This record gives sequence, C-alpha cells and structure tokens, in this order.
Amino acid sequence: MLLRVNSELNNNETDLAAITEGAEVASGVPQGELLSQLVETTLKPAEYPAEAAIQVRQDICDQLGAAALVDACAVIGNFMRMVRIADGTGIPLDKQVAVISADLREELGYDQFGSAGLTPRVGRLARWLGRKARPLIIKRLAKMARATDKTG
Amino acid sequence: MEAFAYSNSPYPIRPDLPQAYREAWRQLAHAGTWWTGEERVAIAQEVRNAADCELCGLRKAALSPFAPQAADHLVSTNLPADVIDVVHRLTTDPSRLTESWLNDVTVGELTKPHYVEIISVVVTTLCIDSFHRALGFELEPLPEPVPGSPSQYLPQGLETDTSWVPMIGQLAEAEADLWSPQRSANVIRAMSVVPDAVRLLKLLSSAQYVQMHEVPDARADGGRAIDRAQIEFIAARVSAINDCFY
Repeated sequence: MLLRVNSELNNNETDLAAITEGAEVASGVPQGELLSQLVETTLKPAEYPAEAAIQVRQDICDQLGAAALVDACAVIGNFMRMVRIADGTGIPLDKQVAVISADLREELGYDQFGSAGLTPRVGRLARWLGRKARPLIIKRLAKMARATDKTG
Repeated sequence: MEAFAYSNSPYPIRPDLPQAYREAWRQLAHAGTWWTGEERVAIAQEVRNAADCELCGLRKAALSPFAPQAADHLVSTNLPADVIDVVHRLTTDPSRLTESWLNDVTVGELTKPHYVEIISVVVTTLCIDSFHRALGFELEPLPEPVPGSPSQYLPQGLETDTSWVPMIGQLAEAEADLWSPQRSANVIRAMSVVPDAVRLLKLLSSAQYVQMHEVPDARADGGRAIDRAQIEFIAARVSAINDCFY
C-alpha cells in the first residue's frame, strides 16, 4: 500500500505485480530485482545455493553500497516481525487502509491469503469512494505524519 | 564480549541497530510482564529450534496445519508442550493461525496476555535473527537469563472487539507514550495488552524501518541508504512470501 502511495506521490511507474511474482517481474523500483532476490534468498534458503545469497549481497554492495545492503537487511528483519504480529493477533486492516487498498489487494491476489477473512469485504460503493478519496487521504496521512509528535 | 559488536562485519552497521538489539537482548533476559527471564530466553531458543523442526516442516507442507503428523517438535528447553507448539507455529506458519485455535490454546495458565508476550519474544528474536541471516552473519548467542518475577501488569482501557486478543482502546496516562493521540494503526496496538511489547516494537522498528511518526508519510526514508520505494518494496515482498494480508 505505501509502495503504491510512494509511487503515486513521486509519479513513478511501479509494477506492483513484482510484489507477488518476485524478481522475474521488473518492478520499476530502483534495483528492485536485486532487492527481491535478497528477500528470496534470505526467506527461502533451501531453494537457493549459498553462493546465490553471497552474490546478491555483493551485487547490492556494488550497485547501491554496503550501507544500503545493511538497511535492506534491517527492513527484512522488521517485516518478519510485523507479519507475525498481524497474523498472530488476528487484527483486521485499518478501515481507511482497507477501503483505499481494496482494488490493489484484489489485483495482487491478497484476498486469497488465509488472514484476508479478518477484514470485512469492502463493498462497491465504498471502493468507488475509496478511489475518489485516495489522493485526499494520502495527503492527510502525510500531513498527520509531519504534525505528529516525534515520540509518537 | 559485548553483544552485537559486529567487529568482524565487512559492512558498516549503523550504531542505532546494535544499540536497539542490545536493549532487546537485555529485556529478553529479564522477567517480562507474564514470563520469567528464563522462560523468555527459552522461548527465544524455541524460535531458533523451529527453523529446523521436522514437525513444523511437515505442517507447513500440509493442506491443513492442524492435521496430525508423524513427527515431534525439535525441542531443547523444558517449556510446556503447549507453549512450545505456540512458539513453533508463530515462527514457521503464522498466516494459517485461527481464532478458534487460539481460544483452544489459551485456557488455564496460558492466558491471552501470556500469548501476546510470547508473540513479542518470538518476533523480537526473529527480527534480529533475520537481519543476521540476511547479511550472512552467525546468530548472536542468546543472553543469560536474569532472575526475577513477572510484573503481571494489565493496562487500563482494554477492548476485545478488534482482534483475537485484548488491545488498548483509550490510552490511560501510564501508556500515553505508546502512540500519538490520533489512534494508531492496528498493528501497533495489537500487542498493547503488554505495553512493554509495544515499546520494544517501536524501538526496533525505528532502527530497522523508519521512525514511527514517519511511517504514514510514504516519501519519508528516515535518512536510510535506500529510498522509501525500495524500503516499501522489500516490506511488501517479505509480507507476500509470508502470505501476510495485513
């Protein structure tokens, strides 16, 4: 969701199918294929020879720098946490996010995931409203972020 | 030797990462809200065992994660069997957990606040171990447990109508630091029945992802060496591989 928002705010062409399809799809995100390979070799080590992980780390260092590799690995760690908090506690998507992301979730097949049932289905009218309201909501979220207490 | 020294790292490790990890390890070793330090470190050990567990592998490949399998968990602690099963399932197959399963396991001494603290220990261990695995580093040895008793603190203002576990609805003064007055995202509120779990989540997220106040601003990159599109692409790819809808 935030990737699409980022893409819209920056007027970038991003193929969100790369999220589910992996490194075979050109995402449009800079070095997205390499980053996808880093995720895959980390999360599915049995499917790749050890040399593949070493090579992708080297390629990221060469193309983005060693600090970028460290930051990318930290993000992997972060989201290994967040998915388990969400699935382990059975939280639904936040209402606003559910409405504005309904089309995207359907397009990417996220509605097939087991935990999709935790979030009430978004009706046609709400989807239409979500599409119309999305630019305003995105601006509001960014404004809220800037206004929020730094400790928040 | 100090934990998370990274003295042999071929890559420059930002200092806020080992600082956050050391604090996580310190908290892991001490009594929490519902588990002792010894139990918390044992839970962390079971997170590591789950990676090579034959039963977890069979369950992951099975049509139903609740179908009987002819194997046992790989275990090296004396935690109760039901706790070990919870830890291994959270670690290896979280997207197929259900509310009815949770209601079946949270009976007797294993209450929902106990369960939420298990989640906190599991995800703390896993997020740090995953960072190490992604960089090709050895895992950090687990800390030595520190004696002490759990506080059994329950926050005020708990609601039970959003998720499978109680979560804070209205923040009381004691938890005012957990999130800003505008209501926070469910994923931040999810573990709030154990407020210290949310505090640790914020600390680790701020080091591994971006500062909490930057999250809704989809262009903020927290000064990282990758931009926000790259950050969110990695996040989305990790979530997709984990079959996470949220």
